[in-house]
Amino acid sequence: MLAEPGHYDYAPYTGRPRIVWPGGARIAVWLAPNIEHYELEPPDNPRKTPWPRPVPDVLNYSHRDYGNRVGFWRMADVMARHGVRGSVSLNVAVCDHYPEIIERCCELGWELFSHGTYNTRYFYGQSEDYQRAIIADSRATILKYSGQSLDGWLTPAITNDETTQHVLAEEGIKYTLDMVHDDQPTPLKVRNGKLISIPYSLEVNDVPLFQLRNTPPDRYTAIIKAQFDQLYAEGADNGTVMCMPLHPFLTGQPQRIAALDEALAYITAHDGVWLATGREIAAWFTEHYYDAFVSWLAAGTPGGRR
Amino acid sequence: MSGTDIPNYLDYPWRRRGLDHDRFPHRNLPQAAPVVWPGKARVALWIAVHVGHYPMDMPKLPFMVPGGMERPYPSYWDYTQRDYGNRIGIYRLMRALDARGLRATALTNAVVAARYPALASEIAASKWEVAAAGMDMGKLHHGGLPEAEERALVQEAVGILREAFGPAVRGWHSPDHSQSMRTLDLVAEAGLDYVADWVNDDMPYPVGTAAGPLTAMPLAWDLSDQHLLLQQHMATEDFTDQAFRAFQTLYAEAAATGGGRILTLTLTPWVMGQPHRIRALGTLLDRLLAHAGVWPATGAEIVDAWRAGTGR
Repeated sequence: MLAEPGHYDYAPYTGRPRIVWPGGARIAVWLAPNIEHYELEPPDNPRKTPWPRPVPDVLNYSHRDYGNRVGFWRMADVMARHGVRGSVSLNVAVCDHYPEIIERCCELGWELFSHGTYNTRYFYGQSEDYQRAIIADSRATILKYSGQSLDGWLTPAITNDETTQHVLAEEGIKYTLDMVHDDQPTPLKVRNGKLISIPYSLEVNDVPLFQLRNTPPDRYTAIIKAQFDQLYAEGADNGTVMCMPLHPFLTGQPQRIAALDEALAYITAHDGVWLATGREIAAWFTEHYYDAFVSWLAAGTPGGRR
Repeated sequence: MSGTDIPNYLDYPWRRRGLDHDRFPHRNLPQAAPVVWPGKARVALWIAVHVGHYPMDMPKLPFMVPGGMERPYPSYWDYTQRDYGNRIGIYRLMRALDARGLRATALTNAVVAARYPALASEIAASKWEVAAAGMDMGKLHHGGLPEAEERALVQEAVGILREAFGPAVRGWHSPDHSQSMRTLDLVAEAGLDYVADWVNDDMPYPVGTAAGPLTAMPLAWDLSDQHLLLQQHMATEDFTDQAFRAFQTLYAEAAATGGGRILTLTLTPWVMGQPHRIRALGTLLDRLLAHAGVWPATGAEIVDAWRAGTGR
């Protein structure tokens, strides 16, 4: 076992090369709807039990199914009204199961990236061959249904293996979301190729908030606003990234959708906000700041207190 | 393809258009034909009340239901708090609904009718609808149950409830939404015609079974008092506020689409029937009823209107 992921060196939140986002923006805000399918009868996995109840777990299965039948459509309408695109963390089998969802995403100009095939197929302990097969499937499926290239990755159910980031880089993935160690993109150390991490979130992610921390909708909006206010303020000195991970089966519920609406109205009312996709953030950082960050890290993170 | 030690991990037997089972087709709600409610109401208000019995010796397997005996046997703590619902809480709910001319659907464990005939009489006298909710909260439906045993559970529950309440018992709700792969078939076989276990929609939809079609009804779970107040430990007002937010969303969608929606209030007598919560429920109901185009209805009434509106 490893004592740490080993993909990045320590980097203090001071003295970093200054990031400015396109148009002089101080914060890149991106929304990551997780569009998923959890199988009714998934194969057994020795490390993680897919459902809290014995199969068929009708309650939990149908709760997630709500996202694809109802929640997604409601969420997409709200985002479109605010002119905010999604970057879809996609269980790519959704393309086969519900192609009309993918059509709607494409119509709205959303990015598709891979969240594996199903959210009930895990990466823990899987061989590199297995991981490569899933990445190849993802690339082919996303291309077939959307014409898009596969640039981003979030391991299904965040069950990555210690080899996963290396495999991603070797397979040509450009950015990964498996780590939440920073509020700015990070160049990663991988065996071969080039891979960066861009900020995802487990803090302002609707699953931990609504499922684990029992957050009512008005508190959700307050938390999103607080997260935004702070990163917006800090972004004046050095550009930040704020990700809002979303799940249609939770945020798309009728009792919660107004909380997203209100949060997006607040964010989009500010100047200096770059409403971006994951791919755009990764490309901008890689083109303009990757080398500067690597040099700064190689030089021992010079710079100082502020 | 090799590369995984887990059998079948790269096999996707159900990877195809639609769902990974054959009970009903996938439906995108915005693309469903609008259904107009009686009086062109925008939102049907369905109040569904769990009338349950939690035996003190109930099993903790195959899983612990919310409200199960969480403390070691003999848990007077758990048993009596649940029992409060059948002694006090439900009467308080009845009064709150009666005062507003509202009727509920009682999702009733059969043993409640057998144990408490006085309560059964009150439910009947209140003109509430009764739907069958299995035997008791310790008798779960699950994949490990032999078919004959599960059939007997369904038949016995429906038999007891129809004897107590007559043929108007048409709906089914499994204890805490528990189902095996066969439950839907057995429910249809027992002569019921709607089911409220799957929480995947805001509107009814048809379900196929080996014994004929059922209508699936959208019992709220994410928005239920058990989920928000009991499992998530929220304050009472966080529950009633969310119910009102859901109403606002559904009310606006009904106006925008020209088709009715359903707000389901899923209530539990031992939770929402507590003295410190009942007035918040009254306030919520008054807020809802102050809107034009709200149609208070039982589950069976909604099923009938939905079928009439769609021809299903």
